[in-house]
Amino acid sequence: MTMAHDAPKAGSQVGRSVPRLEGRDKVTGRAEYTHTMRLPGMLYCKLFRSTVAHGLIKSVDVSEARKVPGVFAVITIDDVMKVIPDPYYGPAFHDQPILAHEKVRFVGEPVAAVLAFDPHVAEAAAQLISAEYEELPAVYDEVDALTTKTYVHDVLKPAGTFADLKHLKDAKDTNMALDYRLRRGDVDKAFAQAAHVFEHEFKTQKVLHLPFEPHASIADYKDTGVTIYTGSQGPSFVRTEIARLLGWPENKVRIKVPFLGSGYGAKLYIKLEALVVALSMIARRPVKLALTFEELFYQITKHPSTFRIKSGVDKDGRIIARKCEVYWNGGAYADIGPRVTQKSGLTASGPYEIDNVSIDSYALYTNVTPAGALRGFGVPQLVWAYESHTDMMARALKLDPVEFRRKNLLREGRPHPTGTIIKDAAVEKVLDHVLDRMNWSKPFDKGTGVVKRGRGFGIAIKAVITPTTSVAIVNVSADGSATLYCGTIDMGQGSDTAMAQMVGEILNVSAESVRVVPRDTDVTPYDMGTLGSRSLFHMGHAVRRAAEHARDQLKALAREVGEPEGSNIPVRELFVKKYGMQAGNVIGTGVFKPDYIPPAPGTGLSENVTAFWMVSGAGAEVEVDTETGHVKITKLVNVVDVGKAINPRIVETQISGAALMQLGFTMFEKMHIDGGQVTNASLADYKIPGFHDVPVVMDNSHVDTNQSNGPFGAKGVGEVSTFCVSPAIANAIDDAVGVRLMELPLNPESVYRAIRAKAGKPLEDE
Amino acid sequence: MTPFELAEPKSLSAAVKLLDPDDTSIRPIAGGTALMLMMKAGVFRPAKLISLRNIEAKYSGIAADANGLRLGAMTTLSALEHSADVRKLAPLITRTMLTLSNVRVRNVATVGGALAHGDPHMDLPPVLMALGATLTVVSPSGERSIPLDDFFTGYYETVLEKNELIAEAHIPAQGTKRAAYMKVTTGSADDWPALGVAVVIEADGKAIESARVVVSAATTKATRLKSAETVLNGKTADDKLLAQAGDAAVEEAEFIADVRGSVPYKRELLRVYIKRAVQQALAGGVQ
Repeated sequence: MTMAHDAPKAGSQVGRSVPRLEGRDKVTGRAEYTHTMRLPGMLYCKLFRSTVAHGLIKSVDVSEARKVPGVFAVITIDDVMKVIPDPYYGPAFHDQPILAHEKVRFVGEPVAAVLAFDPHVAEAAAQLISAEYEELPAVYDEVDALTTKTYVHDVLKPAGTFADLKHLKDAKDTNMALDYRLRRGDVDKAFAQAAHVFEHEFKTQKVLHLPFEPHASIADYKDTGVTIYTGSQGPSFVRTEIARLLGWPENKVRIKVPFLGSGYGAKLYIKLEALVVALSMIARRPVKLALTFEELFYQITKHPSTFRIKSGVDKDGRIIARKCEVYWNGGAYADIGPRVTQKSGLTASGPYEIDNVSIDSYALYTNVTPAGALRGFGVPQLVWAYESHTDMMARALKLDPVEFRRKNLLREGRPHPTGTIIKDAAVEKVLDHVLDRMNWSKPFDKGTGVVKRGRGFGIAIKAVITPTTSVAIVNVSADGSATLYCGTIDMGQGSDTAMAQMVGEILNVSAESVRVVPRDTDVTPYDMGTLGSRSLFHMGHAVRRAAEHARDQLKALAREVGEPEGSNIPVRELFVKKYGMQAGNVIGTGVFKPDYIPPAPGTGLSENVTAFWMVSGAGAEVEVDTETGHVKITKLVNVVDVGKAINPRIVETQISGAALMQLGFTMFEKMHIDGGQVTNASLADYKIPGFHDVPVVMDNSHVDTNQSNGPFGAKGVGEVSTFCVSPAIANAIDDAVGVRLMELPLNPESVYRAIRAKAGKPLEDE
Repeated sequence: MTPFELAEPKSLSAAVKLLDPDDTSIRPIAGGTALMLMMKAGVFRPAKLISLRNIEAKYSGIAADANGLRLGAMTTLSALEHSADVRKLAPLITRTMLTLSNVRVRNVATVGGALAHGDPHMDLPPVLMALGATLTVVSPSGERSIPLDDFFTGYYETVLEKNELIAEAHIPAQGTKRAAYMKVTTGSADDWPALGVAVVIEADGKAIESARVVVSAATTKATRLKSAETVLNGKTADDKLLAQAGDAAVEEAEFIADVRGSVPYKRELLRVYIKRAVQQALAGGVQ
């Protein structure tokens, strides 16, 4: 069969660097984004936010704001509860109120909303609102949160979605939103037998996703149904959660998602959607809330973390025991933090085969902006610690850092500490490739004078979040053109292009000819969410199956109309033969959910804990200015295992993009917080990497592998190259100047202070 | 951003009359690159802005003679960057433009705005101060001349009255003097500096006749470091002298801590960068 509109050669779509299907619309300013969208009669919302980190709300005075000409309404939680009596939402816990209710739990929490026809009027009015609070003691640090008597929530309210949170129902006097544990072997006995025991503590700071399109949502509520236009990475979840809040069936809730100006995890689950729905219910008009860049600092962040890692090594350099205690600073509302805690927690011991492992991973509430998923789902925080720790042990034992790792690497066919047998995880191949790209075996110039040079590397593994479900539909029209309906959100990662390539591969049409329908839950079927590098694998399978289903129906149609096997008849002629004219459709559907065995309660062990493993490695060469602590990255090597690349060019941009993002988190990005108040909540004082921060040499590649259970041998790539950047650079700094930094970011002052401390001349604090 | 009134007077004299010395909610706006950030952040909410965009064209021009440059206050930084006269008479300014913010900012930000805003992190104030600039300022009661050395009084504070505007900056020709401006960032490469050091030196080889040394960003205001100049003047620039100059500079400067660094760290940065700036200037001043 040949399809209409089939310009390029058929059957060669996968593995081709197809230019992004939406690229032209984006660069010419024609692509649609929620942030710039307007509906007729729409009201704009601006928020009045808490100025205290933890307090009881004594009163909120909105009277002056209501008097401002052009203000339509000023709304507090009392108004919301008249339309949504139980106004709490969230993916893991129903802990977040639509507007602050009785209490505020972080500086920046929305307390009241002003609606006006002009956003500037709304903003001016919001500034006339005042509130009185009875301040409560607050907790900011994740380790303190475990032992303090200050509790962010009076009672915990698990959402019921996740089995491992059920025991926290109605829990009181705790800030712990999950206590994940893994127990393998006997760590205490192994530590007693170890020739060497090392224990270190690492910390990461609070940083921001900073999507170029800040969060924006519009709700248009009618009693017959509500339509929400939103920059969301997970419209299916938004629909489910809004339906729950309204007590409605899901088919009365419609979520439309245009392109996203990136997401990185910031736009997952539910963010502004519940608020705009409540406001639209009250106002009986469409309501839009679009955050400013400054407000992003009060929406969602990455988890700060403290990781205490302890390893026992035998006399031959084998790691025989590892104990991991990880504390995740989840902020005031759990968001997806408990899942970050568990799903990354299970790989906290790293890409090593260790017989005795104990992992405790704690999700903790604190009085700061909530934390959620950010490009790596917790794994970059873990790798930062375990690959720094691994290097420190090799140094202390005077072992070659490569050979020490090689001796302990988790290899194909061997059990991961969870008990799952490693398959299709090219750990050693990635390591070899990093070393090759670094010219590791060649002599290295360590520098002279003020500037010292060093190099380092790291290697990591991640388990994809499992189990999750994706559904897709492929519609072949009577002219032979193909349309794909899938819920994966293209937020810049190129998923529309990759999915169209898979459809094209199976239907023998060019990827460019496949239409990918904009996301609309009335039309596009269920998907768990665009997160954790899961889409290419899970949705890829669903799309593949839908396309195969359509292809099989076309073959059946050919037989039905009397075409011989292997006939080359154009598809549109098949339809004409069947229906007597250009009419009809063939609808293919595909569903994918991988096999999975839940971790055993108590031990966390499972023979099938993940649908696939992600592997990455990084190497860095640096120059350290010993007089100032400035670190120049002269070379950054990023190597990943993505199985077969569906679109090699997009894979490369994902590798470089993720690595540069992590480079910012590694070198300088930090939300400075003083007494719960973010002191640099603007892009003037919170900087992300620019062109001049790109390493002098950046070498991005993927190893040649095949994911045997992946669609066309492929697996996800979006977050993988974030994993190893931080420890590779810290290890390189140590190599250059002999100082070890245990806390991110590795900014010039931190490096300089460490150099001074090592010289026995520590710099005074302030 | 909250609503405000906008006036667009056609002349500088009309503009100063629209300002009110007692009403801080009325403000002049030139390029607006700094002011708009403050307004968007809600830090500043003016009732009325007096735009200077439509004032006489002569305030947007660069005039040059053998003695130096006359820069109209509304001259954009991009015009400075591309001016052959500036390159010839004050090449330090041209070099500074390469790392001053980005092309979008330089295209609209103005000389007068960069000075009048009083932000210690900006690059132009220390450079013009080191070059010995003088300002002509205008108010309804007339005109006066102010050496840039005396212009800044504190963090975002200047000697300008609320109804006084900069008309022009006069920059003496660099001539045989050698110069360097070193911008030290501790965040991203294009962050505001944690420290700026500008030096303009008359020297014969390494023998310094006279030096002007200015610190910015690490301090509450762009400041001439006269004690460091005293150390340098009439001496030969060797390691020991430069270390002494660094010590004197650190002793004299009034540092502020912020997200870009603590005071002790900024002291060390200044010590190092006094040395590097003088060395760079003497080596020809190419960054």
